[in-house]
Amino acid sequence: MNLIETPVADTATADTAVALAVRAFAETLADSAVFHRFEQANQQLRADSEAQAAMLAYQQKQQSLQALLMLNAVSPAERGELERLEEAFFNQPTVTALLAAQTELRAVCQTAAAILSEQIELPFAAACGPGCAC
Amino acid sequence: MMNNNGTTPLPPKLATATANLAEALRAAPPLATYRQAQADLAAEPAAQALLDHLMTNQNELRLKQMNGRITQADVDALRTLQNEVQENATIMAYVMAQQDALAYLPEVNQSISDWLGIDFAALAGR
Repeated sequence: MNLIETPVADTATADTAVALAVRAFAETLADSAVFHRFEQANQQLRADSEAQAAMLAYQQKQQSLQALLMLNAVSPAERGELERLEEAFFNQPTVTALLAAQTELRAVCQTAAAILSEQIELPFAAACGPGCAC
Repeated sequence: MMNNNGTTPLPPKLATATANLAEALRAAPPLATYRQAQADLAAEPAAQALLDHLMTNQNELRLKQMNGRITQADVDALRTLQNEVQENATIMAYVMAQQDALAYLPEVNQSISDWLGIDFAALAGR
């Protein structure tokens, strides 16, 4: 069998090359317009007190109903209220903007991951590692 | 706007950075070893056939198990095949190399996530 030999110096060089390439990739992505739009949308949502209040109201309602939701035993009135709060949150302009920016960023990240996967002949961005219990 | 293959085109600088990362990854020992093990397996038809045989056998056994028609002879045949696979150095080198390569990639994804402050794998995974 013809296994590739990887002396320590070569391994260190390859590791450094990967580290540098990772850094360059991340910096380039962070510097892209799509990432800037995502970050800006994120900041705008954090600064939007109305959207934050809508998120809090929705989360609190969801938490208060968690046990009943798991049992599928929420009353129609409570379910209606939860849906209303959910809609109120997702209709906030800053939330809509963040979701749109995230979709745009996701598409770019998926393309990059697809190129990497094709080149290395393995799924690059599989969500879990071998030790993952999900 | 999407490419013909349904993906979003990358900005030129990012396309270059992605290509450079791919090149560096291909040279990284876990992935280089994996590709070599893959080539070794492909160059050994008997090992490839044994692996294919094992997978076919496992699929057939799963179907039989679902239908409740599995026999002791089926189980014995599978065990024999599994032993043959485990004794094949080329197959085992391939399996180990694949495991090592797959264990290495989350580390790289994590480094990207650390730089960006987002979970890259979660965002990029399909």
